[in-house]
Amino acid sequence: MIARLCGLALLGLALGDAVALADENSDLDLIPQAAGQPQTPTVAVSPGGAPNQRLYLENALTGSGPRGGLPVPFPPPKPATWQERLFLDARKQWVLGDRVTLTLSDRLNLRAESNLDGPGHQNTINDFREGYVSWEALDRTYLDAGRINLKNGAAVGFNPTDFFKTRAVVDPLSVDPTVLREDRLGTVMGFGERIWQGGTLMVAVAPKLTNPTAVYKSTDLRSFDPSFDRTNAHARFMVKGSADLAEDFAPELLLYHEADRTSVGTNLTRSVSQDVVVYAEWAGGTRSSLVDEALRYGRQTGTLPMNASSAIPESSISGFQSELSVGGSYTTESKITFNLEYHFNQAGFSRRDWNNWFRAGSSPGARAAITRELWYLRSYAAEQQEPLSEHSVFLRADRVDAFVPNLEITGFINADLYDGSSLAQVTADYYLSNAWTVGGLVIADLGRAHSDFGSLPQTASVLFRLARYF
Amino acid sequence: MSKTTTMRAVAAVFLAFAATNDAARAETAQDIVVASDKVRNPGEPFRSTNTLTEFVAGKPRDQNVLVVYAKEDPATHQFRNLIRYVAPPRDQGKMVLLDGRVLWFYDPNSKASVRISPQQRLIGQAAIGDVLTVNFAVDYSGTLLGDETIQDASRKDRQCWHLDMKAANDQAVYNRVEYWVEHGTNYPVKAKFYSDSGRLLKILYYRGFEEQLGRIRPTEAVIIDAVDTSLVTTFKFGDFHAQAIPDAWFQRDYLPRLQPE
Repeated sequence: MIARLCGLALLGLALGDAVALADENSDLDLIPQAAGQPQTPTVAVSPGGAPNQRLYLENALTGSGPRGGLPVPFPPPKPATWQERLFLDARKQWVLGDRVTLTLSDRLNLRAESNLDGPGHQNTINDFREGYVSWEALDRTYLDAGRINLKNGAAVGFNPTDFFKTRAVVDPLSVDPTVLREDRLGTVMGFGERIWQGGTLMVAVAPKLTNPTAVYKSTDLRSFDPSFDRTNAHARFMVKGSADLAEDFAPELLLYHEADRTSVGTNLTRSVSQDVVVYAEWAGGTRSSLVDEALRYGRQTGTLPMNASSAIPESSISGFQSELSVGGSYTTESKITFNLEYHFNQAGFSRRDWNNWFRAGSSPGARAAITRELWYLRSYAAEQQEPLSEHSVFLRADRVDAFVPNLEITGFINADLYDGSSLAQVTADYYLSNAWTVGGLVIADLGRAHSDFGSLPQTASVLFRLARYF
Repeated sequence: MSKTTTMRAVAAVFLAFAATNDAARAETAQDIVVASDKVRNPGEPFRSTNTLTEFVAGKPRDQNVLVVYAKEDPATHQFRNLIRYVAPPRDQGKMVLLDGRVLWFYDPNSKASVRISPQQRLIGQAAIGDVLTVNFAVDYSGTLLGDETIQDASRKDRQCWHLDMKAANDQAVYNRVEYWVEHGTNYPVKAKFYSDSGRLLKILYYRGFEEQLGRIRPTEAVIIDAVDTSLVTTFKFGDFHAQAIPDAWFQRDYLPRLQPE
């Protein structure tokens, strides 16, 4: 009896195993016939890979909605209500010889928009982003010279240590900070770098080539001009070093000098779990407030009258001011990556500055000169790429293969912590193929009338784009 | 000796035997994984070109090409990886550095390096985590589940060890892996990858066994997305080259300097 039971049990186990293995082999049924055979690359790739390059043609059509009843009237010309742009974007690196490379990066824009008068040079804008020669003088010791886009910073939404960002972005299509970094002008400089095992030292020296120029409007951009006034209006100097001090701890330290301003900074990153990375980026130095810097710059470049008093209180006193971006990223199992950051710009607008700004611009007798000056402050801050307000918070989310394969959706919101107003953008890109991408984005300025983003002259804009990569 | 004492003694001997037997099986499992790692991964620093073809509902769609530079860290016995995107054109020149817990993504268009989390290795149908050179024996602890005959990618029967591998450290790409390794040859045949929550994420079959850098290795893999089974990706690991790779390459600031070979 016992022997029979044992026999049945063994038979049962054997049958169970057979069923399990049959299930195991059924996974093979999921492999499509086309994938059953060895694949041959359809992409032409030279041994070791393709050259370092990207070339694409893109068309972007933007429509924007104006906001009525602004508490501080926006000076003419009014922002465009539509823009059509076709551009060719190229980045390529050539090997010139043993250890010598040449890098060029450029974007040629053809544009038409509602506030441009007729055909003219404003319809063609060329952004000469980079052009430099790099020489590896010794193993992992590099000397570069030319126009170089030198980027610093661990954070995503605001980079206090990205000292060469000021004035470098020309007429952007997106306000996503990660996209703004893609299309910005480099600075003419000499650059040296030594990379050791576990450490790096970099030195950048940028000469003054021209005098500072006025803050640009969308209607007075340079056409075929390298725009060195944006990047080389002052002599600049930067030293950056990093070292692996412990496992997963390699802080970056920076020293930067420009004209009468010296700053120090640091970047720290650390992985705290499988799905969380935290980071902090700080820079500090002696400088004036954003209001004072903007007024001084406006007078120096002739935009604001030299001897007129300001519409809002100003002070010539400088002090040590900090800029901070601290936050982290979190990636979910469903493949969404979130970045949450707190931004602090000590030189930015305080609550009192905001009250002064709205009070001066909203008074019944506010003259055009006053409103022009008030909006100039904001244009200056935008060109400097620093937050206008002292305190803000930034949240970004990115999902690849969102809902369907090859659809990437990105969204961010940048909120002013004084008044709760915010700038929000949602972008969707669908990769039709390896060569074609179709996409769109929506930008909205949200908030009550007397708020940072709620007082802007546009409520929202919508962009559709089609890109062909080569 | 009383009856109770005798039974206790027998139970103790049985438990001791069972424990010893488990330990032996665990040791054997680790030996199998180590031997299989040696089949999958060259023992010297190398460069290879990986072509990833994505199939959606049975039809080929996108193709990505990545160049991988890999070198074993003598301290951890795990590989350090540098990955450079060659295709599609929109991603050309992008790079990923994976060195233990330190992962960086570099985009030559923005010239920005962004720190990424280990979880971000799994993003995308053709995830970076799937092209990494990894010694399973370092990141996972294996247990031998049994001896099974399963079909390989060409539906040929293979006599395999069936192993259950759990993440042994926080650098493991997946939380759990089921792994089938052929008897005698130690060729990897099949693997199933699970998330932290125990969800089956991917099913992988190795194929295309050819001589590369001194021994027979798999040069292709087929990955079935277990969450959406209409998605299948084939990997072709080709153009293997032994290459001296300085340790200084495996840091963030070297990424902009890496030149195509």
